[in-house]
Amino acid sequence: MLDIKSLSASIDGKKILDGFDLKIKPGEVHAIMGPNGSGKSTLANVLTGKNGYEIEGQVFYEDKDLLNLPIEERAQKGLFMAFQYPLEIAGVNTNNFLKTSLNTIRKVRGLKELDSLDFLKLVKTKTKNLKIDEKILNRQLNVGFSGGEKKKNEILQMTILEPKLAILDETDSGLDIDALRIVSDGVNALRSKERSFLIITHYQRLLDYIKPDFVHVLVNGKIAKTGCGELAEELEKVGYERMEIGK
Amino acid sequence: MILNFDNFQKANQSGSKLNNIRIKNLNIFKEKGFPTKKEENWKYTDLNRIISNNLSKLEILNDKKTSQYNNEWILKNFQHNQIILVNGDFVSSNFSFETKEKITIKPLKEILNEEKDFEKIRNYFDEQENSLNALNHALVNDGIFLEIEDDYSFKKPLIIYNFFNKFSENKIINNKSIILLGKNSKLSVLEWYRAESDIKYFNNTIHNCSIQKNAILKKYIMDSNLDNSYNYHFTNVKSYSNSIFENFLFSAGSSFIKNEIRCDLVETFSSCFINALIFLKNQQHHELKTNINHKQENCKSSQLVKSALLDKSNGTYQGKIYVDKKAQKTNGYQLSKALVLSENSAFNSKPELEIYADDVKCSHGSTTGNIDQNSVFYLMSRGLSKEQANRMLVEGFLNEAVETITEPNIKSLISKLFIDKINKTKFEINEY
Repeated sequence: MLDIKSLSASIDGKKILDGFDLKIKPGEVHAIMGPNGSGKSTLANVLTGKNGYEIEGQVFYEDKDLLNLPIEERAQKGLFMAFQYPLEIAGVNTNNFLKTSLNTIRKVRGLKELDSLDFLKLVKTKTKNLKIDEKILNRQLNVGFSGGEKKKNEILQMTILEPKLAILDETDSGLDIDALRIVSDGVNALRSKERSFLIITHYQRLLDYIKPDFVHVLVNGKIAKTGCGELAEELEKVGYERMEIGK
Repeated sequence: MILNFDNFQKANQSGSKLNNIRIKNLNIFKEKGFPTKKEENWKYTDLNRIISNNLSKLEILNDKKTSQYNNEWILKNFQHNQIILVNGDFVSSNFSFETKEKITIKPLKEILNEEKDFEKIRNYFDEQENSLNALNHALVNDGIFLEIEDDYSFKKPLIIYNFFNKFSENKIINNKSIILLGKNSKLSVLEWYRAESDIKYFNNTIHNCSIQKNAILKKYIMDSNLDNSYNYHFTNVKSYSNSIFENFLFSAGSSFIKNEIRCDLVETFSSCFINALIFLKNQQHHELKTNINHKQENCKSSQLVKSALLDKSNGTYQGKIYVDKKAQKTNGYQLSKALVLSENSAFNSKPELEIYADDVKCSHGSTTGNIDQNSVFYLMSRGLSKEQANRMLVEGFLNEAVETITEPNIKSLISKLFIDKINKTKFEINEY
């Protein structure tokens, strides 16, 4: 599904990712943990296609050269990032935005575009399953949303767009227990043999709800250690600093 | 410009009083000419230059048989009263939804031709804001006179169709409209402009409105079906006690338009709302200039102007709030937000507050910037192309102005036209 080969990324000459390698197979859930400034969000941004980075190395997504694909084609081909800080976009209605997004993606996948009625039905089911108040869809995109609502909106978008590879960039940060459950239930409901997840998080807490297949520790722009779920628990106890020493 | 005034006089017989006014004002215009940017009010719009570059062969329209228009231009599936003007001349009116006795509607020409009637509207020839007003007083030959009795609310909106056909090519058209709204009455007007494609003319109109106690006048102006026209609209509003004036402008069509709106809040508790959507491309040049004069206590004014400029277009908003020393407890507000979407486009914003009372609440704000690239990235990360993302963001940005419209039917009509316009526009926006 995803094959990252010695990926380096710098911004204004400062190296943030430095020889990063990672392979994700279909159906796998990978968690990336790491201290502040270790390059976690940069990794998510580079994979999604954000401008402003000088990039070296290679990334293959379904055997295609991901780094040469425009941002929207990455999304159309099934890549999704749940933003750490979802943007507030004044004037853009959440419902219209999601419908446009879904139909653009469906068109590329050779599926019929949904009319307003079908879309509404779909959204009603999804919001109900996720226990999200469907009223947020009539509001301007993320405008005046609480932190929790913004993150739930990201999960709702993911659920509706049904990506092949979902990257969650610190989606758990700032969530209360109930919201955390909604987010993780959303992820767990989408888990399948074909769909992969890359979950970036600071805390082991989220991984109590979403059991990853692999946990990687990112330090100074590369993976310092890889393990299974227990690695996250160990990290929580020991802290990043001691882990780095043990490297 | 070729001002053949003798021919004009022959074609428009007027009484001696009006004739004297015409001659006096013609001389004022001849002395001053079209405004140049040396005048403070015109510093962002050098009309003299715009005219000499684009309309050097302007002449007065004296031809009589010019009132053809395309019947398909009348809105279908939208119940409304109507007045039709072609090339500035009154052609017909239809108020079939209303109680006839409550309404006086006349072609202005009839009033201008009758010495006795003219006396009633003589004061509408006093305005001397600039040389274009003088030109209008000198050469006005038709327009609208509409008077609504007290205690009458219109059942359906009124659409004033302003059509321009090929006979207006290279012509200067001067007309006036006078709308007098009685106490406790209510009227919503949509000024709908449409020209045969690429016809080039100069339209100089003075709109006079008087809103008596407790009356509500809502005025919506759409120029989006004009393309190569040049326009100056001066709107002069007198608002009496507890009245409401709501004005929305959809400024997107003409090559050049300057809308100048003066609203005098002459009695207590009157209010004035001016909201505009300015959406320009190519080399369009649009200006909105407002003068809100708070003359008595407890009046309210509010202005919201949202603009987006593509290509080499140029937009200007000059918003002035004047508060007389008697006008305590004034509440004045204005906000201008502009997206300058190309490095060759420009937006000028000049807020002005002139306050002589000490117990007032007045605020103003102005922002000009480019589209937020992080927002573009967010939308693109959901599969939208860059063009789709830009379009969605500009639409959302401008739509805030459409949202101010309080008349639901007109709002959905304008909203639909706005979205059509947005969908037909190419949004190849580069970062700069």
